Amino acid sequence: MQPPNIGDIAPDFVLSTGRWLSDVRGAPVILAFHEPGWDPARADEIEGYRHLIQAGEEPQRVLVSNDEPAAALYGAARESAVFVLDGRGRIAWRHVAGIDPVESAAEIAALGLQTNGDGVRTAWSRRGFVATAIGAAVALTLEPTFGRAQTAAAQLPSGGTTTGAAVGDAVPVTLNVNGQTITLNLEPRVTLLDALREYAGLTGSKKGCDHGQCGACTVHIDRRRTLSCLTFAVMQQDKKITTIEGLAASAGATGDSLHPMQQAFIEHDGFQCGYCTSGQIMSATAMVGEPWGPGDDDVREAMSGNICRCGAYPGIVAAVQEVRRNGGGQGR
Amino acid sequence: MISFDYISAADVESALRAASTPSSKFIAGGTTLIDLMKLDVERPTTVVDVTTLARRDASLAAVSELPGGGLRLGALAHMSDVAWDPRVRDRYPLVSQSLLLAASGQLRNMATMGGNILQRTRCSYFRDTATPCNKRDPGSGCSAIGGFNRTHAILGTSEHCIATHPSDLAVALAALDTTVQVRGTAPRSIPFADFHLLPGAHPEVETTLRPGELITSIDLPAVSFAKRSLYLKVRDRASYAFALAAAAVAVDLQGGAIRGARVALGGVGTKPWRSHEAEAVLVGKRATEATFRAAANAALAGARPHKDNAFKVELAKRTLVRALTEVSA
Repeated sequence: MQPPNIGDIAPDFVLSTGRWLSDVRGAPVILAFHEPGWDPARADEIEGYRHLIQAGEEPQRVLVSNDEPAAALYGAARESAVFVLDGRGRIAWRHVAGIDPVESAAEIAALGLQTNGDGVRTAWSRRGFVATAIGAAVALTLEPTFGRAQTAAAQLPSGGTTTGAAVGDAVPVTLNVNGQTITLNLEPRVTLLDALREYAGLTGSKKGCDHGQCGACTVHIDRRRTLSCLTFAVMQQDKKITTIEGLAASAGATGDSLHPMQQAFIEHDGFQCGYCTSGQIMSATAMVGEPWGPGDDDVREAMSGNICRCGAYPGIVAAVQEVRRNGGGQGR
Repeated sequence: MISFDYISAADVESALRAASTPSSKFIAGGTTLIDLMKLDVERPTTVVDVTTLARRDASLAAVSELPGGGLRLGALAHMSDVAWDPRVRDRYPLVSQSLLLAASGQLRNMATMGGNILQRTRCSYFRDTATPCNKRDPGSGCSAIGGFNRTHAILGTSEHCIATHPSDLAVALAALDTTVQVRGTAPRSIPFADFHLLPGAHPEVETTLRPGELITSIDLPAVSFAKRSLYLKVRDRASYAFALAAAAVAVDLQGGAIRGARVALGGVGTKPWRSHEAEAVLVGKRATEATFRAAANAALAGARPHKDNAFKVELAKRTLVRALTEVSA
């Protein structure tokens, strides 16, 4: 079967969730089919995804399928293929291996993509990138044996039971970030901060000193505040990681609602330039759950690992104290 | 940072095997190791993750009771867990205080007991690979001697190294006669006083831990008067800084007389500095300022300041006097 053309209504089929593809209309969707053995978690594949985004209308979801009958409907049986569907369920763009050429500059322009010359970072939003990473994780879930096969069990000379990889090799690293499971291919030396910012597109956690002295990179790991610059991502598998992007939702907020601590920082001018703010807020929300005394001095001591170059400390203390008086604002 | 082979240890035996190569390092909290790897000061080719050991043996990350009234601090227990533990706060206040006055809330959630006592010096020349340093590059010389040495040690120095030991916890542990439990080819116990080494001619060798050995716990003995103890830390800013001077003290007071005393100093020594000299002055005396001053003079009698750190002699004395005054009040 020939693949549907741009402008056609996307052929409907039942997703692995049991819903029909047409049920998820209303927002753009990336639909990816992968051939057996294809690893969408590979960094270069994700790089390719960066070309898929329409300016001004970001795909909200990435659906990855190895459903062969469905792939056949899209002319992609045993091929890798990517379709971008607009909110009305029409094909907005496609790339089917073996049929469509690698996208040229003209085609990218035709899709309204914004490029900045050294890649397409401006066209690829944080949300889109996260969605792709989630899609990659879905694909790996569909084929659980793939990816793990690369994690060779390194038999030690005397027969240990540890796993590892050769020096310099990237290994699949599965992280639970903000309630989503993502799998990234990372060298063991990639810190959690770099994994979040450079591979998962979660740039809310900031890199200040990169040596554990400023607190800008603070995230929660298993509900505790930690410095993402001083731990390797490969060590944080099987843990629950919360970043500033997921903080409000972790406290039950929906939509654009903020975490009480975020709101308090706004109301008390707890920042000026904003660079340290995500780290301050992540540190503050965890500090509220620690057994500190009630005073302003306790806040200053507990928050001393978060440096603010602008000197917004009075506002930060006021914000933290307001949240503490109001019962804390849960969520890690 | 150079590439390395990452191994997640399933059990102590495989961790020890994996770390048997000379260029391997254990990693737990990672707060010192990763910092120094980014600076190329540490360049391990194999990194063995021991945090996973606690899945098999939870006691490695816990605080537990020892027969006779002591406490065992699991090597993988986080600084924050030990600092806030009610038994530690009640029976060994100086240990809890030394932890809460160290690092930051985030770092205390990451760093472990074992890693804490193995942390490397903050000497800026040790951390800068462009400068000679006998500790980092044996035989290359000491840049701090004759260089900028305001934060450096005045006790236990040698002509090869004057780097300060940075740990606060280790100073409290030195005061308490703790024991370090180690697993290697055979389990062994190392008295805390024997754990850290003076720099001498080999500042690159910092402890008596043998290659491939793994700390499993730090054991606090029952000390009847440890409830009356204090860790006092003086630094350049109010919080989140390494000590310029610190004192860990415990006193056994009976009707104004000192029956027993423990004194250790931080921020001034090349290793956690137990002062038996100060203790000898204190025991049998009345708890007065004159007694405390005499003890402080005894503790610092061997001090050898350099160009920028002579102020530490008097600062350490006053820190110790104040700590003894507060704990005796």
